[in-house]
Amino acid sequence: MSDQPLVQMQGITKRFGGVTALQDVDLTAYAGEVLAIVGDNGAGKSTLIKILTGVYQPTEGHILMDGKPLEMASHSDAIANGIDAVYQTLALADHLSPAANMFLGNELTKNVFGIPFLDNKRMKTEAARVLEERLGVRLRSMDVMTESLSGGQRQAVAISRAVYHEDLRLLVMDEPTAALGPQETARTLKLIKALREQGLAVILISHSLDDVFEVADRVHVQRRGRAVGVVKTADSSVQDVLGLIVGAQDAAA
Amino acid sequence: MSATTTNPEQKTIMDRLEPYLAFIGPMVMILAILIFMGIAEPARYFRLTNLNLILLDAALYMPMAMAMTFVITQRGIDLSIGSIAALSAILMAFLVKQYGFPAWVAVPLAIVLGALMGLINGLVITRFKVPDLIGTLAMDLVYRGLALVIAKGLVLARFPDLITEIGRGQIPGFIPVPVVLGLITMAIGYVVLTRTYFGRYTIAIGSNPEASEMTGVAVDRHKIYAYVLMGAAAAMAGVMLTGKLNAIQATSAPYFNLHVIAAVVVGGTSLFGGRASMIGSLAGVLLLSMMINALVTLRIEFFWQSVASGVVIVSSVALYTWMQKKDRDGAHGLMAALRSKEAQKLIRFSAALIGALILLLALGAGLATEPAPSG
Repeated sequence: MSDQPLVQMQGITKRFGGVTALQDVDLTAYAGEVLAIVGDNGAGKSTLIKILTGVYQPTEGHILMDGKPLEMASHSDAIANGIDAVYQTLALADHLSPAANMFLGNELTKNVFGIPFLDNKRMKTEAARVLEERLGVRLRSMDVMTESLSGGQRQAVAISRAVYHEDLRLLVMDEPTAALGPQETARTLKLIKALREQGLAVILISHSLDDVFEVADRVHVQRRGRAVGVVKTADSSVQDVLGLIVGAQDAAA
Repeated sequence: MSATTTNPEQKTIMDRLEPYLAFIGPMVMILAILIFMGIAEPARYFRLTNLNLILLDAALYMPMAMAMTFVITQRGIDLSIGSIAALSAILMAFLVKQYGFPAWVAVPLAIVLGALMGLINGLVITRFKVPDLIGTLAMDLVYRGLALVIAKGLVLARFPDLITEIGRGQIPGFIPVPVVLGLITMAIGYVVLTRTYFGRYTIAIGSNPEASEMTGVAVDRHKIYAYVLMGAAAAMAGVMLTGKLNAIQATSAPYFNLHVIAAVVVGGTSLFGGRASMIGSLAGVLLLSMMINALVTLRIEFFWQSVASGVVIVSSVALYTWMQKKDRDGAHGLMAALRSKEAQKLIRFSAALIGALILLLALGAGLATEPAPSG
């Protein structure tokens, strides 16, 4: 974990018409660190990460990357700047192979008589390599439909899509464990730890404080559109964070 | 960091067969027809001329089945193909017969016209947001109506050699020209499905439209491509039909749509999207042609063909749905399903309906008088 923050969001305010979803929120993410964002429904978690991933633009405030201002007009701008997200739904096409999913919208091709054809063989070896090297996952077969994979493996395929870009620096994960059983949850948390080891900044949105305390280094608590506190998991407890979420410890923030 | 390999569970036989199911299904049915006809009518069914006839019939549907595989894989449907075939063939016929266009210009022109009609279908569905079922059904009326308006009940006949060659030419000592054309389009379809952006995105769109949109796939554009391909293939079938009969009229090709959809669905392409099988579609086309030919060979009345096609569609869709459901939640047996409360209610309801029918029949028979001849 370095001292220089990778991404800083400063004074972010977002209004939708008359509704203020976010009010003057600051957020810092460091490389090689897992930052969890927690909060009740409607606390502004989703809006915050949508601004971070370029889906929404802030009404006020700005984002710095490596200390330099970052303007993003769309999600693809965010990807170009090394910021990507894995959604809760994973956005996988179940009937395609893991490799095809990993490269969906970004296929590798080779030219035959000047016509681009998909290079399925290279996509398969590349996908297997990324899954193995970056995530430590080896699938029984790369030729099966993604549908037949377990929850954790599907998660890995969705993450591999983001980490395939060598210049990925910040990965946002929206409730990755929400639909998973205990065993699959453990596997997914292991994936997140692996990404942290590789020096990525990971932002994790979760409702499960157990998971948060298992993998996160710091916890950013949102309440009613405001950041009410950032605590280190090393020197706080689930009770402390819970108190912040429900507002019992507002003064402590 | 250690590799987290999943525990290699033992694959069941179904798991192993699953990828090939689309191919095995129609193959088993084809085999069943072959065995049945081998017993019932071997002499006439297995004659070389008859096999040629089967292939010639199947060839007509191959380009359309290829394109329909893409449309259905994207969760779409195109009910207008019969009319597109008829209208583009009529237009081609007029250009050749009325305006003296050379055949080698008129044939590609017909295919481009078909593609244009497909484009209109695609725009109606993606831009005007008309559901594909209604959109293509309505466009079917439009195209058929235009064909009737243009041809006014005329039968246009006797075309240049190129067109008849496309429709029924025979390569000496080999298979007919249309079969070669049909197989080439299927082969191209296979390559397009597995090796191109269009094919990959077709499966992605059918499998998960939202995810495709999120990953940057131009969903609407690729849907339009599929309908354009479908239109072009239908026009090609129209040209082949014109050549085969050496005549065309506005009412030609009435049941192309259901026949082609049946062939594709029997071949294992899922109506629910995402599952495509080009080889299955080829097998499905062959299966339907063999079945219809078998009905003819057995001297069964022509009108039974439509009954048979309908039964084949329903049973194959039901079969594939059942097989897919089974490998997810391990449903209980058929008898258990019948014993459920819901099923009991349905059974009682059906029994009441049948009871009413029997009652009315009995009443009618009891009160029947001497029948008066109609007319």
